Amino acid sequence: MPPTWKRTEPAVLRDTEVYAMYPFGKGMARHLPFLLLMIPTALYVLFGFGPSLVTVVFSFTDATGIPGTEWHFIGWENYRTFFTASNADDQMKAIGRSLYFAFAVVLIQNAVALFVAVLLNRKLKGDVFYRATLFLPVVLGVTVSGLIWQLMFNPMGGPVQRILKMFGTSSNFFGSYEVAFDLIIFVQIWMYMSYSMTIFLAGLQSIPRDLYEAGYIDGAKGWTAFRHITYPMIAPAVTVNMLLSIIGALQTFDIIYVLTGGKFETSTLAWNVFAAAFGSTSADYGRASAIGMIQFVFVLIFAVTAMVYFRKREVEL
Amino acid sequence: MLLALVMVFTLAACGGGSGDGGGKNNSGSSSSPSSSSGNGGGGSAGDKPVTLRVLHWINEPVNKFMTDVFIPQFEQKYPNVKVEYTTVPSDDTYDQLMQTRINANDADIMAYRSAFVGAPQEWSPGAADPLWKQWADAGLIADLTNESFLSYYNQTDVENAVMYNGKAYGVNMGKVSFTGLYYNKEIFEKYNLQIPKTWDEFVNLLETLKSNGVTPLGFAGRDVWPFNLAVQGLQATIHDDQLEYIKGLWTGETKFTDPVAIEILEKAQVLMNYAHEGFMGLDYGTLPSVFASGQVAMVADGTWNAPTYASLNPDLKFGYFPIPGSNDPAKNANLAGKYDMTWMVVEKSPNKEWALKFLEEMSIPENYTAFVNAAGFLPNQDVKVESEFINEIMPYLGEFKLAWDQLFINRENVGQYASASSVHAEFLKPAGPIATAQELAALSQKDWDAAAPK
Repeated sequence: MPPTWKRTEPAVLRDTEVYAMYPFGKGMARHLPFLLLMIPTALYVLFGFGPSLVTVVFSFTDATGIPGTEWHFIGWENYRTFFTASNADDQMKAIGRSLYFAFAVVLIQNAVALFVAVLLNRKLKGDVFYRATLFLPVVLGVTVSGLIWQLMFNPMGGPVQRILKMFGTSSNFFGSYEVAFDLIIFVQIWMYMSYSMTIFLAGLQSIPRDLYEAGYIDGAKGWTAFRHITYPMIAPAVTVNMLLSIIGALQTFDIIYVLTGGKFETSTLAWNVFAAAFGSTSADYGRASAIGMIQFVFVLIFAVTAMVYFRKREVEL
Repeated sequence: MLLALVMVFTLAACGGGSGDGGGKNNSGSSSSPSSSSGNGGGGSAGDKPVTLRVLHWINEPVNKFMTDVFIPQFEQKYPNVKVEYTTVPSDDTYDQLMQTRINANDADIMAYRSAFVGAPQEWSPGAADPLWKQWADAGLIADLTNESFLSYYNQTDVENAVMYNGKAYGVNMGKVSFTGLYYNKEIFEKYNLQIPKTWDEFVNLLETLKSNGVTPLGFAGRDVWPFNLAVQGLQATIHDDQLEYIKGLWTGETKFTDPVAIEILEKAQVLMNYAHEGFMGLDYGTLPSVFASGQVAMVADGTWNAPTYASLNPDLKFGYFPIPGSNDPAKNANLAGKYDMTWMVVEKSPNKEWALKFLEEMSIPENYTAFVNAAGFLPNQDVKVESEFINEIMPYLGEFKLAWDQLFINRENVGQYASASSVHAEFLKPAGPIATAQELAALSQKDWDAAAPK
């Protein structure tokens, strides 16, 4: 049996070893990293975590957006109202739409993003140009994207309407009960597809080429190579993208606000939070917080499930 | 964790107590940052530069009047005051602006979309308080009852529009009507058409236009409320007494499924069938150009937009007539509408004194007349209106009635088929998924009953 090497710490540390173990120096300076980290932590608690905690508290009160009014703790009343009030059906439909939105966006957006990323992964001429152009929608922001698509889908002579007319049909687009929501999903995917694509691209580029060569020798080309080499190797990128898109899609309300204002049966849970707190007839922070908490529960369930499932897949490799 | 708890209690104190955010000064145009805090204000403090923040929605003729005529005039009279006039689209965007600004105490004067209507009555138990009432009760909007400039206005108009609990909480600038249709006079002349006095005449007119290849009606369906103006026109002329019907809904004497309500929905469907293609996707901002370019013969819009039509196409000859919902010419003879914008002063504003001066200046009959002429409102003061358009529709304004959405009080948490202004003809085909008026009425009644106060 070969001898086992035991690791022993030398009696006296050389200079370089000291610097390796204590990069910020010895003495008080050792605490520097923690002090520096306190700044972003404080910012996060102040502007991120803290308000979230306040939302939890508000969901048990009847707080309103009217300054100067007193508010009281009312226990589970807001939650009870959500599930049992006369418009509870509408709320359930909104939840259904949120889930539909999330599933559609997550599946389609990631599939398209992966496809495009695989296309761009080869050495194409002008691939930097393609990536930049494809990334433009992310940069444009919600309002501009909304405006672009409103113009494209203008029912009185807009480009898409003209194409439809050539096929003999027409549509009211964002004013239509049938297609408004699907169009919103389309715009959402258009906006964020390249975000997922960039993450996939990063994952793809980390796959060593010799794996493909080895596979090629064994007869794995095209789709087989994708299934057995590419897809497993980008598992971490898939996990990240899935999580981001699930959480993002369940919380989206801004694109709905810009395109239809929640009309024509396009309201989702996230939209109802916004409408309850800042709507034209309502400044009910208590109720909005309660709906926000319910949304949080959904996001938690889906995100945790997704995370567990995808991490398991990663590990299995 | 401790830090988070501290946060919670700090924010709790801010929300629960009577404190507010403190006067934040929008230093957009003012040179001195601390100009407005702390001066209790006597007239002689007028040397300190002041930024007066005024919020309003987008209504081009009015905005133009404010920025080009009134504000420069006001700033000239009071050189230390700079007026910051903010305008945003008149839908939910404006409501949210009002809410956030009043919350942050970041406005001095705000325009409210109508008079102070909609307060719960004894016959509407459990109804929610409209926002203006919540603000008045919380002491956020100033009580103007004893202001001298209020006496420039007609007493009845002041009583009808801005009084609450015996106090006047705002200054209402005039009335508008919106239950009619703008019509293109040239098209009517071309086909020898008269203004219809009954529903049957109206349908004949629509048929004539359609058979001649002219699109009869235009609606801005995408924003829904402009289409609802036409529905309110039907309601105003078909109901004998809208208020009695509304009270009846609350007590159970009347229902959404009553024949009169079904008639309104069915006639709304007829209107939709004679509208241009894609009307449900047209937004309100584009509607004037559709009418002004002659693409449609008539559009549903309010009298406030007459100056817009006039300026879009000066050659356009147009008029306005009430939608004749019934077959009784007497019932169709009058337009209905509402009291339009009400200026409110934010009570906690540090520039309250200047805000009051602003309103005083606006209320002087000379300035008020100029405003009303620019805006196309029906005046609340005894002044002569120049607008040819308004003078032409005077015969229809004999008995000014309030329209449905000014009278209706809704139940809390009511479902979507009866929410907001309660009659949602846009759910019906061709605009929406429901085929018949009976179906929609049944759904509306179901939602209404489910929301009944316990």
